[in-house]
Amino acid sequence: MKIVKLKKENLFPFLEEISKEADLWAPTKVESDRHKFQAIDDLDQIDIEYTRTILPPRKIILPPTINMFQASDKEYKEDFSHVSKKIIFGIHPCDLHGLLIMDNFFTHEFYDPYYMESRKNTLLLGHSCWPDENCLCKSTRTHIIKEGYDLFFSKIDDTYIVWIGSSKGDDLIRAKEDLFEEDISDKDIKKYTEWGDERDKAFQTEINFDSLRDLMELKYDDPLWKKVGNACLACGSCTNVCPTCNCYNIQDRPVLGENYSEIKRCWDACTLENYSEVAGGENFREKRSDRLKLWYTHKFQVYITEYGKPGCVGCGRCISTCPVDINVKTVGKSLDGEKVDSFWNRLDKEVTK
Amino acid sequence: MNNGKLKIGIFELTGCAGDALLILDCEKELLDIFKAVDIQVFLMASSEVTDEKLDIALVEGSVSTEKEIEELKDIRERAEVVVAIGICATVGGIQARFTDPKEWENKYKEVYGDIEMTHTKAVPSKPIDAYITVDTYLPGCPIGKDQFLNLFTRVVKGNLPERYPRPVCVTCKYNENDCLLNKGIACLGPLTEDGCGSICPNHNVPCFGCWGPVEGANLTSEYHLLQEKGFDIEAIKKQMANYSGTKLVEFFKQLKKESK
Repeated sequence: MKIVKLKKENLFPFLEEISKEADLWAPTKVESDRHKFQAIDDLDQIDIEYTRTILPPRKIILPPTINMFQASDKEYKEDFSHVSKKIIFGIHPCDLHGLLIMDNFFTHEFYDPYYMESRKNTLLLGHSCWPDENCLCKSTRTHIIKEGYDLFFSKIDDTYIVWIGSSKGDDLIRAKEDLFEEDISDKDIKKYTEWGDERDKAFQTEINFDSLRDLMELKYDDPLWKKVGNACLACGSCTNVCPTCNCYNIQDRPVLGENYSEIKRCWDACTLENYSEVAGGENFREKRSDRLKLWYTHKFQVYITEYGKPGCVGCGRCISTCPVDINVKTVGKSLDGEKVDSFWNRLDKEVTK
Repeated sequence: MNNGKLKIGIFELTGCAGDALLILDCEKELLDIFKAVDIQVFLMASSEVTDEKLDIALVEGSVSTEKEIEELKDIRERAEVVVAIGICATVGGIQARFTDPKEWENKYKEVYGDIEMTHTKAVPSKPIDAYITVDTYLPGCPIGKDQFLNLFTRVVKGNLPERYPRPVCVTCKYNENDCLLNKGIACLGPLTEDGCGSICPNHNVPCFGCWGPVEGANLTSEYHLLQEKGFDIEAIKKQMANYSGTKLVEFFKQLKKESK
């Protein structure tokens, strides 16, 4: 792998150059503590000192609603209007791992053209970060990234160490080669490794993901599930903010004044009540506890069997989102035998369903 | 006249007529709407009405008088498909928020005293499905343009819409808002049916439930969560009752039992 160096003041000229050929997306500050990935018109909108965005970058590749095709009794017309050349700058390692899981999922058994066409047209430019109290990526071993990016920017003081992860990434560098330096000194390497050691020490939360796979199975009937089921508001937020959730629903929308329908693909969430409802009104997971068990089985167990790593990348979004404290931290620790202080543990109420 | 078009009636019972107004406000699509169907009754648009059989009746408003009960039953007889539109028709609206019949009687006396009504008798407000079978529902206060056009188009093309109720939180997350409950603001998003585009939370204003309660809402958990966060219990109950019409009566009875 080739590694180059970029002075901090050369970052924007570089982004300026590469955004001529594609739409540039990057994290922006919406409120004091709220960030989201947005298409960038003005580079000053970028706020790279963020911890996590509300939605993960998968929303850029596959937005909440897309039109898949138009259909009438005579014609079928595919619609790939969500696909365009994009560059996403500033993705943290956890989210890059999330996209690697998505890539795997959408090609593993069946090739999903709606995801993959968009994904193939998107370049991923990673960026280093610093953990807060909700970051779990060291426990999921997703705090480091070795593949899945085109370029990765590690910020050390006023310099970026830029890791080139693909030939497309290399092409980007070549578009403005004179901005980069090749001589990485021993001093730079020392600074980089010291930064890595400090960063690793900054994690405040650890979860034993190795044991969770078995615990999920051993404690499938644990009273814990009833408790979280009682408290769950069934709002779907944990699912919608998760970088590895990928379920969707198809909606048929006839168009007024035309003889065709638009077939829409919309994000869906297994934690919502209607998700498991089938024709005839039967619902396989009417109980909130059953839906949560399904979600956590996917995060803690099934993905390890299927893809060799957990379905959780430790981004901490479910922790900062769930209003009743149901998240990988409290559920994981509770499965591991720890008594956790959380609303769902305090709520001493039987709730129907 | 039989031009092969579906015959439609749009009716208004007790409510603010906001839903009928919204239909009329679909200016860009209005010509397509009139082209697609034959509108027989739509008082908001024309005083000319017929009493012919209808393919589809859209009914707005709650049932608040004996006369309206008769009117509604007549609509059911006339129409193949009946759609309840707006929060008043679907759950009863603000005017149905009384949790016990005594409360209604007292309020009625307070407002009208002993005046005897001659043209009809008032009854406690109820959603239209308290009296007739409803084929499908479109909640909202008022209904959303996009949802109305989606439902309307499906119905005129011969398909009832597939109801897929979800809480406001779903769209709120798509809009990348921070959860207001986590900021210590009493938001009813998780209890309320989606459709508004999370317009209030988008502006840091909590959801106050105007689309009505969503199927499968966990009222007990949110109630206790707000209580734990230090909100006044009576204020929470009032807020939950505001737009839930008759739908949360059982829940409030349960709460009363618990607090005894």
